[in-house]
Amino acid sequence: MMNRLKAAAKRAFDLHRPARELLILPDDTFLVSYPKSGNTWTRLLIANLLSPDEPADFRSINQMVPDPFADSKRHFARMPRPRVIKSHLVFDPRYPRVIYMVRDPRDVVISEYHYQRKTRRIDDQYPLDEYVPRFLQGETYPENGSWGENVASWLLAREGDPRFHLVRYENLLSDTIGELSGIAVFLGISAAPERLSEVVRLSSVDRMRTLEQQQSNASSLMKGSRKDLPFVRAAKSGGWRSELPESLVAKIEAAWGPMMRHLDYELVFPQSPGRTGSPDFVLGKISK
Amino acid sequence: MSYRINALIRYALGIDIAGRSLAVRPNDTFLVSYPRSGNTWTRFLIANLLYPNDAVSFANIERLIPDCEAHSNLYLTRLRSPRVIKSHEYFDHRYCRVIYIVRDPRDVALSYYNFQRKYRQIPDEYPLTQYVSDFVAGRINSADWGTWAENVGTWLVREGQPGFLLLRYEDMMADPTRALAKVAHFFNLEPAADLLATAVERSSAPRLRELERSQGSKWVTTRGKREDIPFIGTAASGGWKSRLPAQSVAEIESAWGHLMKNLGYELTVSSVAEAEVR
Repeated sequence: MMNRLKAAAKRAFDLHRPARELLILPDDTFLVSYPKSGNTWTRLLIANLLSPDEPADFRSINQMVPDPFADSKRHFARMPRPRVIKSHLVFDPRYPRVIYMVRDPRDVVISEYHYQRKTRRIDDQYPLDEYVPRFLQGETYPENGSWGENVASWLLAREGDPRFHLVRYENLLSDTIGELSGIAVFLGISAAPERLSEVVRLSSVDRMRTLEQQQSNASSLMKGSRKDLPFVRAAKSGGWRSELPESLVAKIEAAWGPMMRHLDYELVFPQSPGRTGSPDFVLGKISK
Repeated sequence: MSYRINALIRYALGIDIAGRSLAVRPNDTFLVSYPRSGNTWTRFLIANLLYPNDAVSFANIERLIPDCEAHSNLYLTRLRSPRVIKSHEYFDHRYCRVIYIVRDPRDVALSYYNFQRKYRQIPDEYPLTQYVSDFVAGRINSADWGTWAENVGTWLVREGQPGFLLLRYEDMMADPTRALAKVAHFFNLEPAADLLATAVERSSAPRLRELERSQGSKWVTTRGKREDIPFIGTAASGGWKSRLPAQSVAEIESAWGHLMKNLGYELTVSSVAEAEVR
């Protein structure tokens, strides 16, 4: 009986956070991505879009685009509708509308590696060439699947569906206003071009760095983590070209080459076959 | 607070449903499919293969190959590894070893229609064409498992990788022994031919019908459901050709034609077939 109670208490410990038990409403929109793919930046953009009177910060993004694994059940119940909700989960058919962010996995792995150092999950000496295979196996964020599983599950189920809006992080960087305007349309928010520029300015990487310095203990993303490493890091694309050894680039492309090509990520090794015999019909479906 | 206490009590008493909250073990094998795709038949085939000395029936199938959507976390925690677990979940990346069964969605729709009548989830006079629209749009009772295409499509993430075996119900029907041999191989078994034949024999549709008649009122899945509609359905493929209205066939094919074609299901509506060729 004691063991039972112990196991039950363990399960019950975090239950004030809704996690997967979140009551989903038909007008909810989920902002979904594999971790380290620009989710926080997009949350800030959306929070600023939704809050014309007051600039958003790391505190308010948790209010306005909350995370079922970090914010309280009570908060979700009291939010004004329609809600925008953050998620890193693999495909979930209950999500009515989805903005899915995708980022070049070669950049994701580097960003992730630094974030795991910051959050003390690995130490500074942890070899990158041991980290990459774990990344490929989906062991670095066991709750979210591997990058390939996370991205492919969403694309296979929903790509081309009017309830699904795909955003490439790289496009968001190169044409922030254009991509933000697409997101605004998907969310049914009308915003004049001047307003969009204002939102982009309030969500700039410089402003995010300043906010990080002021509020590093306010956000569950960085609370208790190392202060010598930043949460808002490069905010660039293509860093892998200088930071990721070619042998590791080859490993990533060997695992997910066809999917990367489908998402317009140019391959260094264009002959990458994809993981053993990735069948044409999966890719056929993806490239539909 | 009451939410916490409630969850704690439900877990401790073993009255929750594991489902998605199941604690997955690395050596679990999952038998996954969309509902009405031959999962029960395959469960019996595998149980008869793995436990040739047990008389496999509806009375012990939940112990041999439990249904994670019918049992509590506590019940499943107590089963010894390696477990074989039945599931209808859409893609769950935690499942390491998966046998996935896919069936022609036009037959699935027909079978599901009868099933939901049996379960009193829709009335007898519910129009079939309306039902198919609900089925395609994901407006049926078990929408939490995704639509047919969402369930099948997301699992294809694993196709071609070790630890994933894709079986077509239609191929299993055509040659069950061969299909079961593949399953045996997946479990690293090399069973003698007569063991395979016996397992197939013991899992045949007439035998499952007989077991349903004698044990259906006790099995967790059929207990308290209408007895005039059987759980073990036609156990046939292609029934849709004569029984599914043309407009419903067209609706399914235009929604999921691409995926169906890639799984080897021939399309009848030429406009869909042509659009897919380009």
